[in-house]
Parts: sequence; structure tokens; C-alpha cells
Amino acid sequence: MELSVSQHGDVCVVGVRGSVDGSTAMQLQDTVAAQLTGSAARMVVDCAELEYTSSAGLRALLAGVKECRRQGGDLRLAAVSGGVRRVLDLSGFTGILRIYPDVDAAVSSYAS
Amino acid sequence: MTKRKVALVIGAGSVKCAAAIGLARVLARERVDIDLIVGCSAGSIFAALMAMGRTSDEVAAIAARLWTRELTSTRDTRAMLSIVLPKLLGFGEHFGMRSDRRVRAALADAFGDTRIEALPTRLLITATDFRTGEQAVLERGRVVDAIRASIAIPFVFTPAEVDGRLCIDGFLSDPLPVGPAVRDGADVIIAMGFESNYQERIDTPGRFAFQLSSIVTNNLLRSRYAFHSVAHHGEVIAIVPEFRERIGLFDTARIPYIIEEGERASEAMLPHLMRMIDSPATHAGEA
Repeated sequence: MELSVSQHGDVCVVGVRGSVDGSTAMQLQDTVAAQLTGSAARMVVDCAELEYTSSAGLRALLAGVKECRRQGGDLRLAAVSGGVRRVLDLSGFTGILRIYPDVDAAVSSYAS
Repeated sequence: MTKRKVALVIGAGSVKCAAAIGLARVLARERVDIDLIVGCSAGSIFAALMAMGRTSDEVAAIAARLWTRELTSTRDTRAMLSIVLPKLLGFGEHFGMRSDRRVRAALADAFGDTRIEALPTRLLITATDFRTGEQAVLERGRVVDAIRASIAIPFVFTPAEVDGRLCIDGFLSDPLPVGPAVRDGADVIIAMGFESNYQERIDTPGRFAFQLSSIVTNNLLRSRYAFHSVAHHGEVIAIVPEFRERIGLFDTARIPYIIEEGERASEAMLPHLMRMIDSPATHAGEA
């Protein structure tokens, strides 16, 4: 798994490439947590190149969402593929997360 | 490095559960050792056959003989009359509109007096306690009795008494029983689940009832899976085959297609699954 971090105005975008599972989930969780330090907690996770997430990945995502919201912000998803979407659907995450077709839409959503 | 404990969970899904044969073929080819198998409803039949060590071909053949429309073909007329004359005919908790004589004979033919605790692979079969609504996890006793309880479809078959509990179909407490695998300390849980079909048209009371049942079952599957995903210490891998064609409850003629779809869905997950199985183990309770 590879992560990238970029800033879009006051929204932090974390790009995930590859798979998130037990061996990589903590890295994602730590990266999200690190971006929250001293900043507005507005995050987007770019899932365009995310191939798969296991339940460990879901737990890392959930930890990030909860911390962002605790700090008055949010964590939103962009460009979720079919397979990942299916996992999110099955685990009820689509009911508690906002998901957008691409990063621009997800970033813009914070403005409205 | 301690080996990771791997569990296979086969959820409720009527004949669609034959997709687990496809999964079993892929796992056998990759020499993945399964430490625990959990089965629910029709999934319990496949779970038990696998826990017995039957080959994929044997499981497919037995399933095709066992899970047929004839299982529910014999009406229990007195029971049906008791719906309209409950007091006169003694309507009670042991209600079911179909005789279970055929299903018991079919199960006996497949499993004999085999006991769960004597199987080569640890097996858990889940049913639902009709009086409390709780999940009943059956881990000992005759396989036929546990399966009969797990497939006690409400209104169709009478609830079954097992281990001092009156049990109905396992799907009612959890259509994809990952919980017992979590409790058993499995590190990697391969969970094959099946979504209930929605009706193409609703023009009979039966279809109306089935639609409601599908709505509730699918929502229950999602909510329970969500909880288990976040509560588990390791990895839960969901494999939910997508069937391009509509599969009826007893469409045993479609078993080859169903197995193929199970294999396809399993192959798609395989790289992720093998990576998780090969990762260093952590055990429940460890940091």
C-alpha cells in the first residue's frame, strides 16, 4: 500500500494505492491522525487506486472518521471502486460516510 | 511465527450456498488449512459436509440429492387447518405447514449418526432460539439434529428441539454468523454470504411476505457483519457472489453455475486472502 498526502485549500487529501489490510491499516490510521494535528479536520480519502479493504481497513477508516468528527470536521471518500464499494455497502459504512465520485466533488462538498 | 487460525463461515442462502463448493476448491488448491467451519441454515449442510472431509465433488452430489423441492412437498393438513381453528386444533409454538419426514430422511442418508464433536474439522452450526431470539450455537450432538434446527424455516418446518432449546432457522438471528468465529479466536475469517432476492413483481401474499423477509434479512446481514468487522481483532473477508441469473430457493439444476460463481468470487479475493493468511499471527487478547 502506498499513501500520498496533498492539501486542497483547507482540505487534506490522502490518496491510497493498493490494499488496506491488517499489515497496512495502522499506517493509514497513523497517516490520517498525523494530518489532524493542529489543522482543521477536513479530510478526503482518495480511493481511485484502492483495490481492496479488509475489515482491518474498515476499522482504520472508522477510527479516522470518528477522530475527524470529534474535532469538528469530517472524513469523506472519493472515487470508490465497485469492489471496495461492495465491502462498504455490506458493512454499513455507506450509511455513515459521505462518498463522492471524485476528489474535486469531495473537496467541494466542504464548501457547501 | 504462530500460524494464523482460519475460519470459514457459510451463511444462509438456500441452494446458493453451493457457491461454497467453489470457494472450497480454491482453498484446497492453495492448500489453505481451515481450522473452523461455521454454517447457518442451508449453509450448515455444506459446512457439515466440508467438516466431514468430503471432497468438493461429493459435496455437490450430496447437495443436489438433498436440497430439492420435494423436501417441502408434503403438507401437514392438520397444521394448516390450525391456522383458522387455533383453539380447536391446538395451534402452538411447534407450528409448521410441511412435514419434515423427507428432510430428516435426506439428512440421515447424508450424515447418519455422525456427531459434531467427532468431525475432523471443528464445526459450529447456528440456529435461533425461538423463545428468546438469541443465536443458538450448536457445537456437539448429532449433525442431523443441528442441521434440522438450523434449517427450520418458519411456517414451513416445525421448530426443532436441540440441546434443550426450541430452535428455528439460523438466519433469523444472523444470516452470516461471523460472531462464533470471532468468539472462537479465529484470526482470519472467510465469510461467504448471500443476499436474499427481491421480488420482480408482487402479486401474491406469498411474494409480499418474501419481499418483507428479504428486506429484513439483508438489513440484518449488513448490520451484523458491520459489527463483527469492527469488533474482530484480525481480518474478516467477505465473499458475496453476484449471480447474474436469478436463482430459486431449490434450483439444484443450477448448482454447476452456482459453484462457478462461487469460484469466481473466491478467485477475486484470493490475493488479498493469501496475504492475510501469510501475515504474522496475532491472537485474541494480545496487543
